[in-house]
Amino acid sequence: MAPSKRLRRRVRVIAGGGALAAVLAFVGWVAYLDHLVTREFQGRLWSIPARVFAEPLELYAGAPVSANDLEQELVRLHYRAGDPAAGPGTYRRHGADFELHARRVRFVDELREPVRIGIRAGGESIQGLKAADGSELPLFRLDPLLVGSVFPVHGEDRIVLTPAEVPPLLRGSIKAVEDRRFDEHHGVDARSILRAMWANLRAGHVTQGGSTLTQQLVKNYFLSDEQTFGRKLTEALMALRLEARFSKEDILVAYLNEVYLGQDGERAVHGFGLGAEFFFAKPLAELDVGELALLVGIVKGPSFYDPRLHPDRARARRNLVLAEMLETHLIDAPTAARAAEKPLGLRAPGGGYVPAYLDLVRRHLKRDYADADLAAAGLTIYTTLDPRAQAAAEHALMAQLKRLDAQSRAKGSRLQGAVVIAEPNSGDVIAVVGGREVGAGGFNRALDAHRPIGSLVKPAIYLAALESGRYNAASILEDAPIALKLGDGSIWSPQNFTREVYGPVPMARALAESLNLATVHLGLELGVPKLIETLGQLGLDIHPQPNPSLLLGALDLTPLEVVQMYTSLANGGFRARLRAVRAVLDEHGTPLKRFAVQVEAAAPPAAVYQLDRMLTLVTTHGTGRGASAHLPAGIVVAAKTGTSSDTRDSWFAGFTGSYLAVVWVGYDDNKVTGLTGASGALPVWADAIGALKPASFEPTAAELVEDRWIEFSTGLATTPACSADAVAIAVPRGTVLPAKAGCGASPAGTLTDKIGTWLKNTIH
Amino acid sequence: MAQEHYPLRTAAALLALGVLAGCALPAPYRAPPPAAEAAPAAAAPAAAVPVAPAPEVPPPPPVREYRLGAATRSLVTDARAAVTRGDLPAASMTLDRALRIEPTNPLLWIEIGRLRLAENNARQAEGCSRKALSLASGDRGTQFLAGHVLIDALRAQRRNQEAHELERQPFMN
Repeated sequence: MAPSKRLRRRVRVIAGGGALAAVLAFVGWVAYLDHLVTREFQGRLWSIPARVFAEPLELYAGAPVSANDLEQELVRLHYRAGDPAAGPGTYRRHGADFELHARRVRFVDELREPVRIGIRAGGESIQGLKAADGSELPLFRLDPLLVGSVFPVHGEDRIVLTPAEVPPLLRGSIKAVEDRRFDEHHGVDARSILRAMWANLRAGHVTQGGSTLTQQLVKNYFLSDEQTFGRKLTEALMALRLEARFSKEDILVAYLNEVYLGQDGERAVHGFGLGAEFFFAKPLAELDVGELALLVGIVKGPSFYDPRLHPDRARARRNLVLAEMLETHLIDAPTAARAAEKPLGLRAPGGGYVPAYLDLVRRHLKRDYADADLAAAGLTIYTTLDPRAQAAAEHALMAQLKRLDAQSRAKGSRLQGAVVIAEPNSGDVIAVVGGREVGAGGFNRALDAHRPIGSLVKPAIYLAALESGRYNAASILEDAPIALKLGDGSIWSPQNFTREVYGPVPMARALAESLNLATVHLGLELGVPKLIETLGQLGLDIHPQPNPSLLLGALDLTPLEVVQMYTSLANGGFRARLRAVRAVLDEHGTPLKRFAVQVEAAAPPAAVYQLDRMLTLVTTHGTGRGASAHLPAGIVVAAKTGTSSDTRDSWFAGFTGSYLAVVWVGYDDNKVTGLTGASGALPVWADAIGALKPASFEPTAAELVEDRWIEFSTGLATTPACSADAVAIAVPRGTVLPAKAGCGASPAGTLTDKIGTWLKNTIH
Repeated sequence: MAQEHYPLRTAAALLALGVLAGCALPAPYRAPPPAAEAAPAAAAPAAAVPVAPAPEVPPPPPVREYRLGAATRSLVTDARAAVTRGDLPAASMTLDRALRIEPTNPLLWIEIGRLRLAENNARQAEGCSRKALSLASGDRGTQFLAGHVLIDALRAQRRNQEAHELERQPFMN
């Protein structure tokens, strides 16, 4: 063989081998991409998130639900006004009478088939319930409200839409705008690529992308944003594999759940379900044509078309989408014209989506469940969230912070705040607001802001004093200057907030007026370690150094921890374990895990009763007096204000018969607010709780104590007739109190009489 | 454990110390009256007659009788039926629901305490029955029922001495 022939053959062999290797490598690469697409996409597409439900509203004779409350609740649950005979999900109202055709619904403990009932509601409460056969029903619960979805294991939360939840108009318009040939192509559309190339060539730079929805989805899922040929090729190949493996329906729904729509602080807003809440504060199903068109339009450039930052651009983009909807016959001309005339309709997020509460749910799931329990698809999580309390707390925080900002000295800074509301007997957390951007995620101050609690610590000191048996509410404390040499040689000389000195004061007054010097004297007498012990008894898992400054609340706690601490005080001395999750059910409705109420004795009920009665004086005679202006007349509240040094933190913790709520207000960067607990957090507290028709705080009187009248200023036993500032306190039975000259002490009357007298003295 | 039997200990302790507390008032403070708005009124402590008047006859403890409302009664009936058919988890959920309606009714806490005993959770049975006992103040009949659950819960934890002390309480007889 001639050398040249041999050479040619060798070249051919090498070239053939190389080509074969290249083909094999390509096939291997495609197989790898296929594997990636299948595994990853399937993993995410089919991992149906756990659906999270709020507590259902219980209806029974006497339930504090008015006819208007009831209708509001039915609307919130998407019941339609109409003929109940038309089917489940409908109701009809005649004045105070409702006919309801309830849907099929799964509760934590039963699956209830559709049922028709009659409800009679009054101006204030439910009067009675009747079954379809006319018999009396003792109680009936409405559907639990869906408040979100979480992937409990990897922690992501979003509002994931099921195929049935995607409005047909959204399907049509996203295809009309982003990928008209979606139903025809196989993942890559040669025609639109050519069209885009031609357009780009003519423009001299990239103006159009020829990506299909499938390619966009692949890009969002797996790839970076770089614009290289290699990446484009990978994207195209993966799109083809995705189309080969999954149905058009799966891909479209995954796209609608995945697509990026905007930025909310550190949180990216993905998916149309969350987008609807983020921009319009309502569920996707309730968006009108224009709102839907705006969301579809944003997809092209979420920052460029951000409707909050660039309303004109966003409006033009929306109207373009409306024109395309008209062109593809999704809507008629009058509808398009009407929608194009309307404003954007943006609303602050809030209402339906409760990220701060979901955050607590996720943490409690992590605390109490093994990951393996939560990995299953289609779990249902029943929580203790009360949507009405949540809405009241959100509204109060937003409204009051806005007002306080307007008055603030620190112009330009935005106050922040947090609210946690619990049912004290069970420890159920019913509302969590983690900041004033209530519908947004981000920093959850209710759970994560560790701030000095100031005077909120004082009840623990007074409890320790009462528990010792050496003190009662009339015991005299010295409100006198003090200078204490600390371990490091420095001198600690605290002052009262007013910088005054009040001399001998009864304990009830020292607590009500939050006198620092009297409290420090008392605390030193008892010992700082005793305070730490009492805080532990109250359910706080903390181990601070026993510094005297602890007596004035140099202790960083989160609002949620303060709720835990005050639960024992609002609960007659019983510590209730806080819970947000009632139960987790698997996809068949079988309970995987349940959370029963848990209570433990934390402090002697008699001491707690005496303390609680003193805390009611905070709102009638002390630093919390302002609360009554926001509350229904005659409501008794036990509470404590707290202000940290230099007014950096404003706190209010208080309880009625039905609610325990803690509010914090301050700046994230710890600037001075100029707000006390009474001027900052109190209005938020009172606004939220006032909206919830609270019942008075009426603790069960401990058997070992009795009520007495004392002068608030001096602590001397007196009668209301003898002293204008007579207040009722509870003392251990048989306690002998020094009496005011010329005033025969008398035992106080019934609790109602005493409350009446307090109120007469305080409310005019 | 020491803090678990307050009602008994504090009974004696508070009664005994109550008088002491009254007598242990510090001597009147003689510094000039504070100038703040919130300062004590004209009647300075020094002007008071430090004679402790005997309190008038204390009013008898309020007598009451707890009952369940119609809604919670129907749920308790359901819960008991669930216990009878051996479905303790269902009973627990149902009582939880009742508790949301009447969270301070001691009869419900007694019912939950009994269920915890059936679940062999004596510690929680103790917590619930103590809570019931505390809420039932003034209702001897309900205290008696709560006391029984508490005695069983204590015995289940082999705390027989405490159970025995509880049996000697007036409301248990």
